[in-house]
Amino acid sequence: MKNKLSHLAIPYVIWMALFVVAPIIMVVIYAFSSADGGFTLANFSKIGTYAVVFGRSFKLALIATAICLLIGYPVSYMMSKEGPRFQRIAMVLIMLPMWMNFLLRTYSWMSILENNGLLNQLFQKIGLISLYNSIFGTNIEYFHMINTAGAVVLGMVYNYLPFMILPIYSVIVKLDNSLIEAARDLGANSLNVFRRVILPLSLPGVLSGITMVFVPSVSTFAISKMLGGGTEILLGDLIEQQFLGGAYNPQVGAAISLVMMVIVVICMAVMNRFGEGEEQAVML
Amino acid sequence: MKRNNTFMSRLFTVLVFLFLYAPIFVLIIFSFNAGSSNTVWRGFSLDWYRELFSDRIVMRSVYTTLLVSLLATVISTFAGTFAAIGFYAMRRRKRHLLTTVNNIPMMNADIVTGVAMCLFFVAFFTLWSSFAAWFNGIQSFFELPTRLTLGFGTLLIAHITFNIPYVILSVSPKLRQMDKNLVDAAMDLGCTWMQAFWKVILPEIKPGIVSGALTAFTMSIDDFIISYFTAGSSSSTLAMTIYGMTKKRVTPEINAISTILFCTVLLLLVITNVREIRQEQLAARRKALPTATAAEAARYDSRPSKGFSSRFPKFIAAAAVITLVLCTGVVASRNASKPVVNVCSWGEYIDESLIEQFEEETGIMVNYQTAESNEALYSLLKSGAGDYDVIVPSDYMISQLIEEGMLEELNYDNIPNYALISDRFKGLSYDPDNKYTVPYTWGTVGIIYNATMVDEPITSWEVMFSDEYAGNVLMFRNSRDAMATALLHLGYSVNTTDEGELREAFRLLRDAKERGVYQSFVMDEIYSKLEGGNAAIGAYYAGDYLAMLENNPDLAFVIPEEGSNWFVDAMCVLKDAPHKEEAEAWINFIASTEANLANMDYIWYASPNEEALESYPDYYEECYEEELDPEIYEIMAASQETLDRCELYVSLPAEIRSLYNDLWTELGI
Repeated sequence: MKNKLSHLAIPYVIWMALFVVAPIIMVVIYAFSSADGGFTLANFSKIGTYAVVFGRSFKLALIATAICLLIGYPVSYMMSKEGPRFQRIAMVLIMLPMWMNFLLRTYSWMSILENNGLLNQLFQKIGLISLYNSIFGTNIEYFHMINTAGAVVLGMVYNYLPFMILPIYSVIVKLDNSLIEAARDLGANSLNVFRRVILPLSLPGVLSGITMVFVPSVSTFAISKMLGGGTEILLGDLIEQQFLGGAYNPQVGAAISLVMMVIVVICMAVMNRFGEGEEQAVML
Repeated sequence: MKRNNTFMSRLFTVLVFLFLYAPIFVLIIFSFNAGSSNTVWRGFSLDWYRELFSDRIVMRSVYTTLLVSLLATVISTFAGTFAAIGFYAMRRRKRHLLTTVNNIPMMNADIVTGVAMCLFFVAFFTLWSSFAAWFNGIQSFFELPTRLTLGFGTLLIAHITFNIPYVILSVSPKLRQMDKNLVDAAMDLGCTWMQAFWKVILPEIKPGIVSGALTAFTMSIDDFIISYFTAGSSSSTLAMTIYGMTKKRVTPEINAISTILFCTVLLLLVITNVREIRQEQLAARRKALPTATAAEAARYDSRPSKGFSSRFPKFIAAAAVITLVLCTGVVASRNASKPVVNVCSWGEYIDESLIEQFEEETGIMVNYQTAESNEALYSLLKSGAGDYDVIVPSDYMISQLIEEGMLEELNYDNIPNYALISDRFKGLSYDPDNKYTVPYTWGTVGIIYNATMVDEPITSWEVMFSDEYAGNVLMFRNSRDAMATALLHLGYSVNTTDEGELREAFRLLRDAKERGVYQSFVMDEIYSKLEGGNAAIGAYYAGDYLAMLENNPDLAFVIPEEGSNWFVDAMCVLKDAPHKEEAEAWINFIASTEANLANMDYIWYASPNEEALESYPDYYEECYEEELDPEIYEIMAASQETLDRCELYVSLPAEIRSLYNDLWTELGI
């Protein structure tokens, strides 16, 4: 009977072969071919020039992931300590923005961070800018916020924070409370309870949160275009530019995608080693 | 101490929520703004909602989004559930392998998934067209379509593909938690395996299926990147439309969409949760009062009260989504059966009432798309993502497209208005024999600056590279124009093929970028940046300057002393375009004097139609009851004297083009 049930997966296995495996093989083929179709390694030789972009993307994505973790973990932890009604409302509030497209939310940040944007208008009104000018003897009319690396990181944190909170929360909320009580009874103080019991047990959630924030951050192109203004281009921008943007060269684009994919897979594999193969990316 | 701690942690949570919601509230508030700015409040109005509902492109993309999300959710929930059961029943090693493959779309960056699928589809289409040609050749019973393009079908396949893993992910744990003996017991008691599935397995894993479906729907709605690479040009999701809008002059229609979306989702979630809370109260009461009616008890028992699962709200939610799809579908597809023409032009480049007028006169529906730059248009055409009939490229791109055999020769018998085009714009270098093109507009490139933000009038390209206004300068986001500014400043021809000169120009740009001269690289975003006083200087096109001047009178325009570029944008039809006749009707309509006058008045680019160009000052006077400033007319329709200082781009040889691409990518770094 078990064998018969396993036939249920056959359509999907065919589907995967067609639409998951075959497209990736296409990327590999493109990465190793020249514009007229012959085999070449030249596409990879250009990647050296893009090392800066790789460095920048991974740096910004790591910073964004770290900030998400620093904000997301405490929030998840505190949420799990509240009453059930609060928890439910909080969950809804975290999920709600995801139903509006992330481009809308990012677009809103543009008008907030502009030189004449809402934040600078606010600073002007409350006199922060003149205060700054009188302290530092400068003569600025606004704080330069948009089109900086900081703005890009902000966009990443803002958009992907729910992806950090949700998995961590769903692990913490299921923690067996008796373990914590037992640790207390055995004389552990709050810090030790957290460090020795809660943190290790919530690690699977943390790991899947990190994956879910890091991967989209490292490969984004809309956020960097909108909040970075093209001055801080990331891997995503580079790839997009080679396919649908201003420098058509799909072979190089495929090579960059391939290298990025390999690096991300290695990172994730190394990280998941710590998680003892716990591959449950819990979300809802 | 303890209390203080709780307070601090609550404060922290509240701040985080404030951070999450502040931008959303900004969007909502400014959707009621009377002005078109997103930073300056000009009073309350509902105009943007009215415009939104009459905007066919937006309504259609909402429909596409909802339809594709709904279909993808339903299909992937079915497929994913079966697949999860299948995986569960497999031997361990095989299961492990398949689970790994299944995880690929989740672990992979969206952009890689999108690009991979785009390449795959296009490769498949190429294979298909040779197969179909062969097949149609050997038999004549039925004809296979030879020309497949990216569209709704590929979009749906892509969404299903990235949704299924999420369904499997939420169903699998439920299967593992299930008591294995249950199925065996059912079979021992005489169930067929089909019955065992329906009566035993399905009820056990139902919560997993529901949360899987919900995740899938959320992912579909939120997706932009994968859709961007797989939807082609004929169907676009809301996210793609929004992305297109952010690259143009943004209208608060975006805010209105956000507000509607937000309120709809909020309402749905509130309904769901109120029901759940009620049930919990009911359950509590039932516990407290053991005498509660049996009916009430039964009602409670039939519903698990955990998570997002209770039957009634789910029903409401599903019904609401389906109704929404149907409603937008009706709005969007009013004209689905009429002939169409797919036009791809630039942003802010047409008086949109012309589209409606054309549709009324001819009954042909216009699917009007925009591309960002000539180079981006070329990528769209080459990658197969752009499936258009009419395009409006500039001079140098036209000759490149002709050279690569990508344009169709026009039948000028269908375009009588071609006779109205001035001889000055016929037989130019890009189309010497007048076989492929009908000019759309022409104009010059120059520097636009905010007179209140600079110390003295700008006269030279120098400002684009000097530190004087560092951080306040906007540079072109396309290789040809950006390089041209540098080449002109260095005193070289914009058409140079000398690698040394090009590299020198590139270094000039790169050094300026590294010193922080450029605030950003822009195309039509320049509108909001310059109009809002967010930047002082930008290089752009004369017509756009005049359009900006209407909103910010402090702006000034100059064609620098080193000279500049002048351009002609012309309408062409793509090779094997499926709607060639409709395309020629469109071209003819646009070439008419009335359309040219309306366009000139709206976009401020000069018309190649002799009569329209000459009579524009009178037309202006008639419309606005004041004389057209001759200076403005000169900026719009530059005199021959000015044009003599400017150079037309010509198409560059392939190796120089690839050098441009490399340098451009390197500049981005």
